[in-house]
Amino acid sequence: MCSVDSLFLSGNEAIARGALRAGVTFACGYPGTPSTEILEVLSATADRDGRVQAEWCINEKVALETAIGASLAGARSLVTMKHVGLNVAADPFMTLSLTGVNAALVIVSADDPGMHSSQNEQDNRNFAKFAKVPMLEPADSQEAYEFVAEACALAEEFDVPVLLRSTTRVSHGRSRVVARAPVAFAPRSYERSIDKFVMMPQFARQRNRLVLERLAKLRERAERTPLNVLEAGTADLGIISSGAAYTYAREAFPKAWFLKLGMSHPLPVEKVAKLYRSVSRVAVVEELDPFIEDQVRALGLPVVGKEAIPADGELDQEIVFAALEPYLTRRPPRRRRPVMPPAARISAPVPAEPQLPVRPPVLCAGCPHRAVFAMLRKHKVSPLGDIGCYTLGALSPLDSLDSCLCMGASIGMMAGMNKVLGRRAVAAVLGDSTFFHSGVTPLIDARYNETDGIVLVLDNRTTAMTGHQGHPGTGVHLDRSAGPALDIERLCQGIGVRCETVDALDTEAFESALKRELGAQGLGVIVAFAPCALMAPGEQQLTVDEERCNLCGLCLDIGCPALAPGETAVEVSAACHGCGVCAAVCKRGALSVAGEPAGTP
Amino acid sequence: MNGTTTVSFVGVGGQGVLLAANILAQTAMAQGYDVKASEVKGMAQRGGSVLSTVRFGKLVWSPLARHADVVIATELLEGRRALPLLAPQGALICARTIISPGSVLRGETQYPQDIEAAAAARSVTLLLVDAEAVARQAGTVRAANVALLGAASAKLPFNEAAWQQGLAAAIPAKILDVNQRAFALGREAHLNEEVTL
Repeated sequence: MCSVDSLFLSGNEAIARGALRAGVTFACGYPGTPSTEILEVLSATADRDGRVQAEWCINEKVALETAIGASLAGARSLVTMKHVGLNVAADPFMTLSLTGVNAALVIVSADDPGMHSSQNEQDNRNFAKFAKVPMLEPADSQEAYEFVAEACALAEEFDVPVLLRSTTRVSHGRSRVVARAPVAFAPRSYERSIDKFVMMPQFARQRNRLVLERLAKLRERAERTPLNVLEAGTADLGIISSGAAYTYAREAFPKAWFLKLGMSHPLPVEKVAKLYRSVSRVAVVEELDPFIEDQVRALGLPVVGKEAIPADGELDQEIVFAALEPYLTRRPPRRRRPVMPPAARISAPVPAEPQLPVRPPVLCAGCPHRAVFAMLRKHKVSPLGDIGCYTLGALSPLDSLDSCLCMGASIGMMAGMNKVLGRRAVAAVLGDSTFFHSGVTPLIDARYNETDGIVLVLDNRTTAMTGHQGHPGTGVHLDRSAGPALDIERLCQGIGVRCETVDALDTEAFESALKRELGAQGLGVIVAFAPCALMAPGEQQLTVDEERCNLCGLCLDIGCPALAPGETAVEVSAACHGCGVCAAVCKRGALSVAGEPAGTP
Repeated sequence: MNGTTTVSFVGVGGQGVLLAANILAQTAMAQGYDVKASEVKGMAQRGGSVLSTVRFGKLVWSPLARHADVVIATELLEGRRALPLLAPQGALICARTIISPGSVLRGETQYPQDIEAAAAARSVTLLLVDAEAVARQAGTVRAANVALLGAASAKLPFNEAAWQQGLAAAIPAKILDVNQRAFALGREAHLNEEVTL
């Protein structure tokens, strides 16, 4: 078909080969025109050399979460989707900007100007600005091929996911590609870091400042990167463009100066200023939204943009020529000096009095989640987490949750991580309401993609964190009337996933269920069932045998607000629910519930 | 600012901080003031720090203020933590209630003992109230938030009738009685203390 060093590839083929060259070893996505062939080519090539795992996921959200898990596990990862797919994946995408990555994570968004096979024409360059992440826009197959490695390097240098935005004419256009030497990449190892990957408010605020600082550094990079080229011309016309639109403009005005943006977010404003010093007329040629144009106008610079270039549909060289040609004979605007945007101020953290003990929210006394975390810690199971009260399990002293990204992300992230590490390295923990919100689809995906892992659904029969709202698992409606309640275990059976329901507060039963799962292969779900302590008043009394208690601290290590060290033995406050989790961890039988010592050997 | 008075309520989730703030807001309205309030309560039930702000005056624009004229604290550490929130010459009305956070319980940190000195260093007028003892006397320790508000009430520019309207508007009828008693006992106990606002 073509020689070894000169291939004739579609943009999608080029992205796939570019991913292999860049050392991408995990790729996933959901099919959508014009993005689909990327994974198909990757998978076909991967089958030959066996280096890459590639899979279709159930949807774009789960695909991104799976790729995030793979990136955390240390594999360079790629996720593909069409433009509207990023709407589905927007929840993990927006917070991923805060957490950053481990190994590189490249998100390919293939837009469809002209809506050849799409329900809308949204311009996903806006997502790069929205999430404050860098965006690369290849204009042809050679760039599509090379930009994957560029994106990987950027991702790792700046600890940021990178958006690689293609359009129909890039993805489904074909052009010559000269192969480049493979990029060396050593897989990274995973390290637990809750202030990076558990996005509860106190950590998210810190990360958000880093996002703003990172954006400022990316602006500097956009000025220096060879992907953004100022190409000298002979005509008194400068054109700022990117992607496929650049090729049309280049052909329409071969003598013009060009600012060709391969990295189109953030915008290199100094380079824009330099173009304005070279020519007296500047136009922005871009498909769809005035994404670049608005930013140029914000510099106070006169520019020809969407008043001439259509704001909808695809462009071509004739449209571009006809649109800009009349301006060449008009008198050029006089103003050529930009007003540079000031650096954004980042608010200072609220000054805390350093000597004062902080009071983070804690799992309530009697909370059944505590029982689960104590047991997971005992068996050295480190789960990826989700959004709900149980996110608090990430904090000291339980220290038993590694991530919190967005609703339902735990299962997809587990899938990606376990796929890369090739074993049941991590589990997933999510609540009942979160499971119904966004946990069912990734569970179906895990079944479909034959993921190994343990999913723990902490079923406390309510949406606890927000104040005990009903959900499909309880059937309780907004007006508290009863409706049909879905059974998680039967739902899992329907999906074809092994599932067992146990009483979260029955230490023995829960431990044996966990042990069974730990000894098993494949995918399993444990529903740890026990109503929220705030809805079910405790009926049992905890007593302390002061003779036996030696204040070893094991019970204090489960972080129950009802337990405190006294002078000679632990003291129990009135907040105690009598759940018995402390009694179960006590090795001296000093704590007992309703007179019965629990958990003694 | 601009003739608006700001009262911030701080405490631990579950102590009735938001209810106390609502009573004050209702009272200020009963007295004919414009009122705005805001609260941060997402984690309120999980024993975290809670902050609720009530602002009243002839015309109030913002529901939020960086500094408060009065801070009403239902817990000692939270009162201590709130000292930087107070405007100069502000007043801290603080319950003597102690709820040790986990790090203190586990011996990793020390519960602060310096609230008087820290308040004095900032020229903040401090009124310490045995809110739980007063509430117990009224019939339930759970009314400590309202007992504390009673203690603070003598220092706020509302008449008795307005307070009663505020209590009735914010508290469920079933427990209004015991709260009215707690409020009255708190108010009596501190009626003559020197707290200039």
